[in-house]
Amino acid sequence: MMNYADQAVFVEGLRKRYPGAEALRGINLQLERGQIWGLLGPNGSGKSTFLKCLVGLAQPDGGLIKIYNQEPGRQARKLIAFMPELDHLYRWMTVQGTLDFTAGFYQDWQAGRAEELLDFMRLKGEQKVGALSRGMRARLKLILALARKAPLILLDEPFSGIDPSSRERIVEGIIRQFKSEEQTMIISTHAVGSTEQLFDGVIFLDQGEVYLQGNAEDLRTEHGQSINDIFKEVFV
Amino acid sequence: MLPFLRLLRKDLESIRWPLGIISGLSAGLIVFLRFKLAGGWHEDLVGILMAAPLMFLPFWLFWQSFQSLRTEWREDTVYTLLCLPVPGWQLTLSKLCTIAAEYTVYLGVVAAANALFNPFAGEILASFPASWLLRNGFLFYLIGLSQVVSSVIFIQLAFVVSKMVGRLQGLVSLWTFFLAFWVTGRMGGLLEPLFRWIPAVPLHRLFRLDLIGRPIVSYWDAAPKISQGLIIFGFFWLTGYCLENYVEVNG
Repeated sequence: MMNYADQAVFVEGLRKRYPGAEALRGINLQLERGQIWGLLGPNGSGKSTFLKCLVGLAQPDGGLIKIYNQEPGRQARKLIAFMPELDHLYRWMTVQGTLDFTAGFYQDWQAGRAEELLDFMRLKGEQKVGALSRGMRARLKLILALARKAPLILLDEPFSGIDPSSRERIVEGIIRQFKSEEQTMIISTHAVGSTEQLFDGVIFLDQGEVYLQGNAEDLRTEHGQSINDIFKEVFV
Repeated sequence: MLPFLRLLRKDLESIRWPLGIISGLSAGLIVFLRFKLAGGWHEDLVGILMAAPLMFLPFWLFWQSFQSLRTEWREDTVYTLLCLPVPGWQLTLSKLCTIAAEYTVYLGVVAAANALFNPFAGEILASFPASWLLRNGFLFYLIGLSQVVSSVIFIQLAFVVSKMVGRLQGLVSLWTFFLAFWVTGRMGGLLEPLFRWIPAVPLHRLFRLDLIGRPIVSYWDAAPKISQGLIIFGFFWLTGYCLENYVEVNG
């Protein structure tokens, strides 16, 4: 029997079909622990579906998924901090209420880190979620994912709605919060330019298939250009 | 248990406003009609209108049961719920308890408003001993609650099953709802012989009909209800299992 324990994520032959569209067409991936992976691809390439399959929010039509040697499910969810692209927040809650609600379900929640992030993201606990701008809600979603010491952090388009001037600051914040010896992170995005410095490794998804995968530095050397330029060359 | 209590608190907080408004409106209607009766409105019309809040209750609860899950999908908060490392049955039980709380609060408000402002109810209440009314009122509350709970379970099952298919979700939901009713009846009938040993419940004693001088003798055969209750419990478990393992968020 294969041992997947060394990998944060092991995916083999992952397929997912929606009515009228094949979102994932046999994805094979092995992601090492302790790295930040960029999941890159244009809209509709299958990035969100892939992440949803890892969390168990979408049911694969075929293939194998192992998250730290566990199949997607209740036990695996304890290991994953997932930030979806959509607004998944209860709008009637306050910011602090949202943090308290989430904290109650996860043993790896770090209240001190949440406080620090709240300050860093310039949010106030008493603010109503429904009254926040889209960018502020995106920041709150990031806090919910980053305040956990989860072994696997999945961020789906984390900078969508956040103004470009704040992105760099937030990217720095993510790097500062990331504990490489304990955590693995997958960031899905199509805005590669401002996030490129984050990635240890990148996965290019195109029409539900892995087009390219590798160490970010190796790819830069091999292609003689930045990841952003490679992305443009492949997809634009 | 703590995660479940957090879920329950979240669900209870989410219904505060709708429940407050609908209970307030219903109580307000009863008070309004009381004054209209004094102002000359016809007794029959006022009597029928005063009963409207109680007749409205099943529809309100039916709608809320459906809505409590539908809202999670519509507002994308289902991402939050399904990412939580809790068993699916805790998610559905929390919503079930919330509907039960709505039933209790709404019924309490409407009953109190009727007792205070409905002259027809006042006449009936005055003709029975208070302790007998309280006891039987509570028993009827429990009977109603059991109906509410089973209906909510059917609705939750129908909704969750519909979210397991990509197309025709409304139709699948309706079909599952009626199929669950049918299966409960049929399977309940099959299991019933297992519970025949349970003695019939003497209703006349349970409701203390002797206290109001009614020489009625009536027994309730518990076996069919117990077997159906087991099937409904099975559906509750199935709903939680499907919600946890097979349901998808919107594509």
